[in-house]
Amino acid sequence: MSEPLLSVRDPLLSVRDLRVSYQVGRNFVHAVDGASFDIPRGSITGLVGESGCGKTTIARALTRVIAENAAITGGQILFDGKDLAKIPEKEMNALRWRDIAFIPQSAMNSLDPVYTVEYQLDEVLRRRGGLNRKQSRARSEELFEMVGIDANRLNDYPHQFSGGMRQRVAIALALALDPKLIIADEPVTALDVIVQRQILDQLKELQTRLGVSVILVTHDISVVAYICDRTVVMYAGKVAESGTMQAALTAPSHPYTMGLRNAFPDLQGAASGILTPIEGAPPNLASPPAGCRFKPRCPFALDICGTEPPVIEVAPDHPVLCHRAHESAALRIESAKTETWMAPA
Amino acid sequence: MKNFKAVGSRLLQLALVLWAVVTILFLMFRLMPGNPMAAYIDPTFTLEQQQQLMAQFGLDKPLWQQYLIYLGNLLQGELGQSFRYREPVGQRIWILLPNTLILTFSSLIVAYVFGILAGAYLAWRRGSWVEQAAIPLVLTTRAMPEFWLGMVMLAIFSFSLGWLPAGGTRAPGNEYSGFLDLYTSRDFLAHLALPAATLAIYSQGLPLLLMRSNMLDVMKEDFVTMARIKGLSNWTVVVRHAARNALLPVMTSFAIAVGYQLQGNVVVESVFSWPGLGRELVNAVAASDYPLAQGAFLMIALVVIFMNLLADLLYAFLDPRISHA
Repeated sequence: MSEPLLSVRDPLLSVRDLRVSYQVGRNFVHAVDGASFDIPRGSITGLVGESGCGKTTIARALTRVIAENAAITGGQILFDGKDLAKIPEKEMNALRWRDIAFIPQSAMNSLDPVYTVEYQLDEVLRRRGGLNRKQSRARSEELFEMVGIDANRLNDYPHQFSGGMRQRVAIALALALDPKLIIADEPVTALDVIVQRQILDQLKELQTRLGVSVILVTHDISVVAYICDRTVVMYAGKVAESGTMQAALTAPSHPYTMGLRNAFPDLQGAASGILTPIEGAPPNLASPPAGCRFKPRCPFALDICGTEPPVIEVAPDHPVLCHRAHESAALRIESAKTETWMAPA
Repeated sequence: MKNFKAVGSRLLQLALVLWAVVTILFLMFRLMPGNPMAAYIDPTFTLEQQQQLMAQFGLDKPLWQQYLIYLGNLLQGELGQSFRYREPVGQRIWILLPNTLILTFSSLIVAYVFGILAGAYLAWRRGSWVEQAAIPLVLTTRAMPEFWLGMVMLAIFSFSLGWLPAGGTRAPGNEYSGFLDLYTSRDFLAHLALPAATLAIYSQGLPLLLMRSNMLDVMKEDFVTMARIKGLSNWTVVVRHAARNALLPVMTSFAIAVGYQLQGNVVVESVFSWPGLGRELVNAVAASDYPLAQGAFLMIALVVIFMNLLADLLYAFLDPRISHA
């Protein structure tokens, strides 16, 4: 497979041909099967795709805290001149949270129920950040102010907060040590739409103010469209398309991205017409189809799609994993029609 | 304060349970076949003498009056007169209860401390040969009957090796000035070792297996994964987060275990001739010494009820979701 021609200059993070597999019984499921993308400094990148496409696996692989039956089987994770896929565990652990922090999907389950929120901030600030008790308290108050929670709630337990508040606590925790990169795994999925917007606005505001890079993992392309600068679209363990938000929205060049755009309402609430689902289901990653993995669901599939698709750069900094990427302008017009998706080829 | 209200309602509940236990005990002994005075009254007594005795114990009064007198006496801490010993039941229990409590708690504390640590360790070392060898071993200790284990312990450590005394709480001829003096003596501790070890070996399986399975569940929780992503040390992750949460149900089980242990004591106290409440209970029932049996039952029920209260309070203390609910 050819290397994607990525033209992000001086990226914070470069993932190259990353492979992560799960062992299920005697079989190996290649959840991430050769993914490559760049994360520029000071940006929000949306890592988008449907359930089981490998986006959460990538997110966790970047921290190297992965399931017991999972392993990084190949590729590189280049971060600040280090390959996170290869460095010793001790070195990796020193880097966790100080450089790479994480916002989980459900803050309810990811905050320890038996400790106050302050304890959990303090734990990170003192054990990982080397602050003393007094500094830690001051920093906790500062963090709570940043995410818009009254500092007198620091002594409360996680269950005393509402869902949205807990997610803010999770953001405060992630910001605690001024990381370079924050990975947010479906950070607003469990919340209602109003709260989703508040949290996303907050995240965007803090990201811009602090200049941190964020990878926002989500299945919801409207969330990506709402706050992201860039997007990486994943399908069945591979990156289908990546580029700036502008490029992905105005000129989606992979049929899957085109389909995704038709399938979601936008977060602004504008009624943009009929929603068209992509028929079918993603392939079983234990035995993926030969050639392009989107072929069985793709309305534009040709015979050639039975062979491994190339990475074609349709524009600078806009690689697409598709045989027909050069025809994407014509396919985009077709893809806007609902009939196109009614009877997949 | 919400907390005070919660404790208040809990105490009211406790009073109700206590009243129910007391009532059931009252009825139980009156529904039992035979004359409760049979052991007390010599067959050669004249009918008049028998009537007189019945009247003396208040047994000629209607049931409801007896019940009220009984409740009134209990409120004053009056448990009646033992038929067999011809002395107040309260006094008898006061002598025996500390022996039972010391045996119960020393063995249970050893069992729980060991069980919790070993359970956490086995969960952490899941899949290792240590775990694979340990689990069948623990199950074996759970399957051994206490009296059998007690006899084996006696055979080995007392009769064969002669390291430890076979029964009782003190060597013959030793006198002590008081409870504290006795309980802190080497003599007493040597006597305590075998029965306590027997109970501890029997009891450690429950907290061990409970702790292990809780740990395995908690280790899968998101907050444990998050603790790892935070780069916290393995010790912090396993002890401060996983074990701390896994401990909650184990602590509750402690209270329930005290109840079980008091039953188990009946057997072990008999094997080791331990002068405790359990052994006395068996003797009292066998000798139809109803006031003593009733008092012993009541005492055991009191301990169980009190331990449940303690477990609730402890749980609230350990789990903020309950104290702040």
